[in-house]
Amino acid sequence: MSTEPTTARPPEPDPASSAGTTAATTNASLPFEPAGVTWTAVSPRLAAARLTTIALVFGPLVLVLAALALATGASWLWVPTGVVVLLALWGAVLVPRQVRAMAYAERADDLLVRRGILFRSLVVVPYGRMQYVDVSAGPFARRFGIASVQLHTASPATTASIDGLPPAEAARLRDRLASRGEARLAGL
Amino acid sequence: MNASVHDEHVPDEAWRRVHPVTPALKGWKSVVAVVVIVGYQAADDVRSAADLLGGPGWLIALGIVLLVALVGWGYAAIAWRHMRFAVTDEAVHLHSGVLFRTQRQARLDRLQAVDVVQPLVARLVGLAELRLEVAGGSGSGVQLAYLREPDAQALRSELLALAAGLRRPTAATAPAAHAPGTVSTPVDPTAHAPADVGTPDATGSTSAASPVPVPPASSIPAFEEAPEQEVYSLPMPRLLAATLRSATVVGLVVLVIGAVVAAAVSRDLGALAVLFPAFVGFGGALWGRVNAGASFRAALSPDGIRLRHGLTEQRAQTVPPGRVQAVQLTQPLWWRRKDWWKVDINVAGYGQGEDASRATVLHPVATRDEAATALWLVLPDLGVPEPRALVDAALSGVDDEGGFTPAPRRARWVDPVSWRRHGVRVTRTALVIRSGRLIRQVAVVPHERTQSLGMEQGPLQRRLGLASFVVHSTPGPVAPRVDHLDGRVAAALLDEQAERARTARATARAEQWMRERS
Repeated sequence: MSTEPTTARPPEPDPASSAGTTAATTNASLPFEPAGVTWTAVSPRLAAARLTTIALVFGPLVLVLAALALATGASWLWVPTGVVVLLALWGAVLVPRQVRAMAYAERADDLLVRRGILFRSLVVVPYGRMQYVDVSAGPFARRFGIASVQLHTASPATTASIDGLPPAEAARLRDRLASRGEARLAGL
Repeated sequence: MNASVHDEHVPDEAWRRVHPVTPALKGWKSVVAVVVIVGYQAADDVRSAADLLGGPGWLIALGIVLLVALVGWGYAAIAWRHMRFAVTDEAVHLHSGVLFRTQRQARLDRLQAVDVVQPLVARLVGLAELRLEVAGGSGSGVQLAYLREPDAQALRSELLALAAGLRRPTAATAPAAHAPGTVSTPVDPTAHAPADVGTPDATGSTSAASPVPVPPASSIPAFEEAPEQEVYSLPMPRLLAATLRSATVVGLVVLVIGAVVAAAVSRDLGALAVLFPAFVGFGGALWGRVNAGASFRAALSPDGIRLRHGLTEQRAQTVPPGRVQAVQLTQPLWWRRKDWWKVDINVAGYGQGEDASRATVLHPVATRDEAATALWLVLPDLGVPEPRALVDAALSGVDDEGGFTPAPRRARWVDPVSWRRHGVRVTRTALVIRSGRLIRQVAVVPHERTQSLGMEQGPLQRRLGLASFVVHSTPGPVAPRVDHLDGRVAAALLDEQAERARTARATARAEQWMRERS
């Protein structure tokens, strides 16, 4: 499976695309690298799924705009076409990096979820605080063989969702979280 | 009695109904709504309305109103017939719904708060609504409307006692005294049976075997109301003064000056017309605040914090111990000279209701002493030798006064106004978070009430080596976070706080607060 555990410093061949996780971690990214934590990256197929979504949304738009521009001969119509193409390209560059930045780690008493490059966030969810766990997979996600696991505590601010897990891993994580949550169950 | 709604966990005789006057009180709403809507439409054209009312139109209008009233009351009556509730040792059971039946069970050990609410009309006829909050998200509470006021209070004491882990006396001892009272409203059969003649004997009336503690006049109720001790009350003059010192009033004054100047410059009084809707809107907002905060009193009892407030709609809240998830003290700019504070709390279950902002106030306008007292109500042990000094440092201190860990000096680039106020202090029992320079804020979260923790960092913060630390609490007015801490400090805090919350939870007191933890 593509979710083999990686260490805190995964061997990333491409330095440009791994701002947060390479050995070249700067001081500033240190807060997001707690000591002794083994991060598990999410499946790269999530990037493929998201890129497909981008292609499906922007592709027809570009085609329609280009067709209009050709048909009417209005040269200004190429401006929005170019903008849309640039947006799509930007998304295409960003998505794989974002997906690489997403990771989770199971510790003895809590689950860590990390995401984001520009705006980073790290969430610590104690197992005993979990109210329920959602596993969901949309039509695209199923096609790419991924599912997402979302943890819910009594706080709506807990945004601990892990997208892009292989279904088997998602099921394992769900059962693991449920059993650990039960063992450490606390009230509110 | 409907056979389809059967619950084998509840003995038949335990089922009760709400007061039979309920449909009449609830049916009124539909009548008022129709009259308001029709009146609003007709008011567009005053003359035609007058014509209509002059002739036989009067009768038609009256007929329509009567018809709507009948339909509304009829529906409410059917709904009343289908609504039943029962209290067992573990849970409150509620069956309701006419077309779509609902059966709800609220577990008493998950009870978060019990409120007795009396809207004006209900108060005039001596009725009250009982609301139970459990932490199940939006609309998960149980609302019992309407009960006779003494019944509502007796039921509240009973629920709190059961939730606290006390057990009711065995059925043999309690009901013997009031066996004759087997008719009508189950809760108080002896005293008021003649008044409640409308009650059909459908739910299996309170029989002698009922395990429900019935408080008849002749015997002691099974659960007496826990004694309470008043802690503070809000004088009306202070509430009015504080309301006048709000941003709303400042906005209104600015608007008035603007309109007057505009009218003077343009020599056209039409500019003043804009003030009428403004007065209505602002007046409504101000009235809402005075109404909610009027005669605000807080008391402490073994059942937890008791709050009573309200002018037209009166509300008596009881929040059991350990149910407050977070506290926040806020000082708007205009209250600084008087050193007044507003104290808000997060209680699971209060967060999402329609009038959530009313229920989550622990003190509308507190002096500094009262604010410290309010904090003490929630958290008697702040975990430091000199709690008052800590509170003072949190309320008005800057930098590292009072042992706070402040944001570093470089945070001024991202928050030039209030960077000196950002700070956090960890005590043995709670996390104290200080922020805001113009609007001062202090949030306190007991360690065992932390839901989850987070850390966030934007691009600017990253350049400066800063990070924000976030504590996730249940829905409510308090969203505790410390902005712009040093990155390493934030990371260490995240790690330690996760550990601290875990150990605090392990030793926290039981959900049933009068029972020893097993």
